[in-house]
Amino acid sequence: MTNAGLVVADIQSVEDDFCLDVEVTSNRPDCLGVVGIAREVAAVVGASVQLPEINYINTDPRSKPRTSIEVSKLISVAVEEPILCPHYTARVVKHITVKPSPEWMQKRLKCIGIRPVNNIVDITNYVMMETGQPLHAFDSDKLSDQKIIVRRAKSGEEIVVLNGARRALFHDMLVIADGKRPVAIAGIMGGRETEVSESTRNILLECAQFEPRQVRRTSKVTGIASDSSYRFERGVDAEGVELASKRAVTLIKDLTEGEIAKGAIDIRSGKYEKKRITLRIERLNKVLGLEIKRTIASDILKRLQFNILNEVETGFKPVSTFIDVEVPSYRGDVYREIDLIEEVARIYGYNNIPTKTSIIVRGSVKSKYEIVEDSVRQFLIGMGFYEVKTFSIVDTSPLQSVNLWSDRVGIDIANPLRQEESRLRTCLLPSLIRTKIYNMNHGVEQVRIFEIAKVYLAGEKLPEEKTCLSILADIDYLTLKGIIESLLLNLGIISKCEWMILGGSILFKADRSAKIQLGNNVLGYIGEAKELELKTSPCVVELDMDLLVKMSHFSKKYHALSQYPPVLRDLAIIVGEEVTWASIEKCIADVNISFMTVINFFDIYRGKQIPSGKKSIAFNLCFQASDRTLKSEEVDVAQQKILNALQETLGGELRKQ
Amino acid sequence: MLEKLEEVKRNIQSEIKSITALKDAEQLKVKYLGRKGIVNDLMKLIPSLPSEQRAAFGQRINSLKTEVTNIVEELLKKFSVEITSKAKHEIFDITLPGKRPLVGKKHPLTQTIDDIKEVFARLGFDVVYGPEVESEYYNFEALNIPADHPSRTDFDTFYIRNDILLRSQTSTVQIRVMEKQPPPIRIIAPGRVYRPDTVDARHSFMFHQVEGLLVDEGVSFADLRGVLNQFIKTYFGQDVQMRFRPSFFPFTEPSAEVDISCSLCKGKGCSVCSYSGWVEILGAGMVDPNVFKAVHYDAEKYTGFAFGMGVERITMLKYGINDIRIFYENDIRFLSQL
Repeated sequence: MTNAGLVVADIQSVEDDFCLDVEVTSNRPDCLGVVGIAREVAAVVGASVQLPEINYINTDPRSKPRTSIEVSKLISVAVEEPILCPHYTARVVKHITVKPSPEWMQKRLKCIGIRPVNNIVDITNYVMMETGQPLHAFDSDKLSDQKIIVRRAKSGEEIVVLNGARRALFHDMLVIADGKRPVAIAGIMGGRETEVSESTRNILLECAQFEPRQVRRTSKVTGIASDSSYRFERGVDAEGVELASKRAVTLIKDLTEGEIAKGAIDIRSGKYEKKRITLRIERLNKVLGLEIKRTIASDILKRLQFNILNEVETGFKPVSTFIDVEVPSYRGDVYREIDLIEEVARIYGYNNIPTKTSIIVRGSVKSKYEIVEDSVRQFLIGMGFYEVKTFSIVDTSPLQSVNLWSDRVGIDIANPLRQEESRLRTCLLPSLIRTKIYNMNHGVEQVRIFEIAKVYLAGEKLPEEKTCLSILADIDYLTLKGIIESLLLNLGIISKCEWMILGGSILFKADRSAKIQLGNNVLGYIGEAKELELKTSPCVVELDMDLLVKMSHFSKKYHALSQYPPVLRDLAIIVGEEVTWASIEKCIADVNISFMTVINFFDIYRGKQIPSGKKSIAFNLCFQASDRTLKSEEVDVAQQKILNALQETLGGELRKQ
Repeated sequence: MLEKLEEVKRNIQSEIKSITALKDAEQLKVKYLGRKGIVNDLMKLIPSLPSEQRAAFGQRINSLKTEVTNIVEELLKKFSVEITSKAKHEIFDITLPGKRPLVGKKHPLTQTIDDIKEVFARLGFDVVYGPEVESEYYNFEALNIPADHPSRTDFDTFYIRNDILLRSQTSTVQIRVMEKQPPPIRIIAPGRVYRPDTVDARHSFMFHQVEGLLVDEGVSFADLRGVLNQFIKTYFGQDVQMRFRPSFFPFTEPSAEVDISCSLCKGKGCSVCSYSGWVEILGAGMVDPNVFKAVHYDAEKYTGFAFGMGVERITMLKYGINDIRIFYENDIRFLSQL
């Protein structure tokens, strides 16, 4: 069975019998009953199905004489919504005795998880489980005017159903009503007022079909689901009503000694026409990668009870190229050629289909995003960082509401499971801080972690999903900044970033945080994290990964190494506290010495020989030409130009030894 | 000239006596054998000699050089041995632990995704990504899951607004790719997906999937079997067996669930495979004609297959992890293991 698509999840031995737990996919409502399962088994093993016994016409002369009353004399039925209820049948059984159902029936019901109630209710459940067709029994003495109307609910109407739930009903819901009020929500659950109880003497047995989408919608809106609605939603056998109805009265006759009224009320909106489909053998073989003959396919379809229409020569086309079939009424899922192809494949055996390896050779190309993502990961791993993965859905606390990228609020989930996971995050850093805390609480004091994931910024229709790279590490600001600088170089991003004062936030300390500007774009934010719930303040950074991808480039070119020696000059200048290294660097660069190659910062000093409010910044300059050995004098001239510029622009004085 | 040579010899003999440390020996070496040393100075005199004397003088200098070299080397050896023997009570322990640099790791789920990408890249599949916040159309309608259809119950979904949701499967990317380009298509799409499942050892409201799609002329179910078999053998091992079971997905027809022989018990049956010998690892099938219709592909001309797998599930199987929650706790002790 598993190999034919019906997964047997569990087999339990129950006394002298077995109980199989079968997983039925949502396209196969026909297998939501024992008969359907039997049909599948029969197709797989090549046997035939024996349907349940229906023999409700009492011919035994020793039992009570059959009542001669016609059903139509006892009750009337009107279907006002033939599209929502294409088929409705009612039978009546009089003078029944409501009592517990026999042991064998109770055992079988319990075995599949249905609680036995009384013989009538048990029979309707039993027949549903047998045939897949739901039924409902009303206490017919409680039906006003001995009337059944299948209609839409009227506004203001309400019902208390069998499980005790009270529901207001609306015009888009289909109900079964008597002369006065709704007595059942069609296909979903019966009403409590007309329920079969111990005092019930006469019943009306409903066996009908309801339109699946209507049942599903109403079940969703009312929040009431049942074995019955489960089957109607998926679609029951278009011709299954008769068998189930007759089977139920057969059992009622046998188990309740009731008198079955003659005939049945049967209202049907039109004659059911079986679907006809053509299966081309060539197509079958093309889709499956098989080379099977028509006879194999037609044999499989016959075993599945499909009626083969072109068994004999038609004269138009050679018969061997296609099969015309008529689909059994219970196979609502089969309506196209491809569905027939699946049927053949299933029974032929998926594992009997060859395993071909003949797809055309094709080279795949890594996208730039992938190259950058791999490169970033490898770089950070090499620097001792662990990659983490945290949830995209977070709580609405102030920390998690940090939004570095947009001033719009985060996007809320309309149907969250819990408040803790109810909003799409706008920043990765709070999750990294949580991860840091988690590790701290589990004895890991120092961490270096990063995550590459999306943040979700409210947009027009769909939100903007920005991929970010976030890092948290128990290292100082300059060390993390250095890692970022190396990371950028590693990605071939040589243009300089501007590190601008951020001034702190809920996340960052005011004196050690920066906005990183790359060209005209914000690359990200870096800073020492506030203590918050932490004992320490690690450094964190969040970068725009999409910008990294855009700005990175990997086309490299070799530059000839200079044959001539470099000249190094160590300098220290005294400047005011407010003068930044960035301004010094810019000032030197602006002098524009063609043969100056590198500026290296190496030290900052405040102390005895330095006036207060000032600092000494030491650095060295490297001069090197690619076409000659530099003369000492020309380097001296250049150095003096630089010192002059520093003096003029920043008030920097050369520090004398 | 010859006297000069003799004088050098004498001088060196007297200087040896005053040498007491390695440092002195090194200085002696520089003095006589260095670039501007005495021996070299003597060499420079050769050109000034009459040509008939040059050869003989050169030989004398060379023998002097050998002699001085021997003396110096001996001294150097002598004093360096003395130093070593002084340090004899301090023995360097070569078995001390090495100074290890910090090394991090990729998250186990990234490792799995990368491994899967690698296998399929070799089979010519490109990696593509799609949005996680999606419209109902891409998550349902275009994938042949109409509204009010019972198969929707199989896909519980987080909603943002009426028709905007968090994708419950990566199959959404199929539609986005096919809308943009005509066949042939050969892609895999890894990414995060979301379902409102109560979190326990086997469920998480967020997890990862990898979706695959191949569309071309003449692609068959047998090709699907071939490609997945290739993946399974490469990823799980050559001795692992594959089994297809009929199943149902709205976006494929025929549909299959694919099992592999349980690597833990080698198919004999254990708790991991619920004593069946098989473990489900992915869902697959031939792209349903209705999906092709949604993206305006000619379903008669083109056929294709799609497959999808859960990254957490595969990772748990591979490493014997029994609780899905551990992936999102990010305990460094866990991350450093895998």
